[in-house]
Amino acid sequence: MNLFLRELKANRKALIIWSVCMFLLVLSGMGKYTAYSSGGQSNAVFNDLPHSVKALLGMGSFDVTTMSGYYAMLFLYIEIAVAIHAALLGSGIIAKEERDKTTEFLMIKPVSRNSIITFKLLAALINIVILNIVTLVSSIIMVAAYNKGNDISGEIALFMLSMFIVQLIFLSLGAALAAFMKNPESSGSLATGILLIAFVISKITDLTGRVNVLNVLSPFKYFSYTDIVNGNGLSIVIVILSLVLVAAFSISTYLSYTKRDLHV
Amino acid sequence: MNMYLHELKSLRKATIIWTCAIIALAVIYFSVYTGIAKDAADFKALLSGYPASIRAMLGISLDNITTILGFYSMIFSFITLCGAIQAMNYGTSILSKESRERTADFLLVKPVSRSAIVSSKLLAALTMLLATDVLYYAGASIVANAVKTSAYSNKLFFMISLTLLFNQLIFLAIGVVVSVIIPKLKSMLPVSLGVVFGFYILGAVIATGENDTVRFISPFKYFNLPYILNNESYETPYLIAGAIIVVVAIAASYIIYVKKDIHAVS
Repeated sequence: MNLFLRELKANRKALIIWSVCMFLLVLSGMGKYTAYSSGGQSNAVFNDLPHSVKALLGMGSFDVTTMSGYYAMLFLYIEIAVAIHAALLGSGIIAKEERDKTTEFLMIKPVSRNSIITFKLLAALINIVILNIVTLVSSIIMVAAYNKGNDISGEIALFMLSMFIVQLIFLSLGAALAAFMKNPESSGSLATGILLIAFVISKITDLTGRVNVLNVLSPFKYFSYTDIVNGNGLSIVIVILSLVLVAAFSISTYLSYTKRDLHV
Repeated sequence: MNMYLHELKSLRKATIIWTCAIIALAVIYFSVYTGIAKDAADFKALLSGYPASIRAMLGISLDNITTILGFYSMIFSFITLCGAIQAMNYGTSILSKESRERTADFLLVKPVSRSAIVSSKLLAALTMLLATDVLYYAGASIVANAVKTSAYSNKLFFMISLTLLFNQLIFLAIGVVVSVIIPKLKSMLPVSLGVVFGFYILGAVIATGENDTVRFISPFKYFNLPYILNNESYETPYLIAGAIIVVVAIAASYIIYVKKDIHAVS
């Protein structure tokens, strides 16, 4: 319990900074919406662009003049930001001990390594839940402020749910890498590198429909935003598969950390 | 000289990885180009039917999109993102490395002035960034030549690729000054990533028009690629702004590092 509270306190400042930044991001993103929605004629022009050109401009397959389509376009940037936060948090919270040379102090305490990991991951989980809620609330407020059409709070909630799963994936990935690697300080860079690759893959599969098989590698593409925008909800199969992935990463975190020789 | 060579060697592995990554990125994007070119050619025919105002809104960038230079300027933002992360990483790590890895007292008792230390480290980082850029330019030119559908101006290609170096210089300078200002940098990765992605997302979300003062916020938007393509030159106010940032940041880091208290064992 001590561990849990201590980890929460240690991450408090970073969480506050990230929450403020996410709020500002949503704010500035929504501020640009008027530029997209104002021109009535531009509606048709945007829709007639060939798919690849739209992908290059970042619009993908959404109708960016409606609020839900625009939010889907903005959502990718929001998702990258929170995914970076989750990956760095996951790898950092495990690697922190060896980086700050506090391993010895922690390990001689009468708590098993398993419970140490449990509390750390739990604290990280609370952090990403808070960040998710902050983004959810700021999105709903900002969208309501600029929205001229239907209320899309339900769709925003679905977006945030899919984002939560992506956060979980990257959090557990970062933790697994940090627990596994002999030099845990570089786990942060590795987790971020994987995240960047996933981002690039998602952009590439946007550009050309032919390599859609690569989508497996990119958590950003696990959930189809077109489905959410059209009101079809999240695919249960993908949700379950993602949770299985998260569980696999978490279990490997536990297994690696208990077996690895820790640098004092 | 010793320090310069030593820093070069320590940056070697990272540079190789980054160079391969950036070139691979360019190769992947160019390989997608042929499909795009065909689609966009169809659309250009469609576009000529639209009224002038609509074409003005979208047309400037889309006229070029069928050419390889237009496509290049579109994908280049991602390449710049990677280059900026690399430069920011180098900038934040190169000075704080001593404190983080406890080699500070070893280095600082040597009979070299602190400014000489900063100079050799900066030069080493600069050399590695230049090496990355040169190799990237060579690789990108080869691939662009392989997939082009019509001849393009080498000069414009070079000018666009040069903005990668400019952005990297700006972020290197920012990284160095951040690393000397913040007292206890336990891990520079969140800082460097946060700053780079922050600027990138800011630039993507905020900057719209051509002459906004808002564009000064994000170094990614200093070089407006369609403008470069149309006018074959860079926009002077932004070039100057970038140069000022680099000069001020580097000067500040010299001054601060020379006077700073460095913990031998922190």
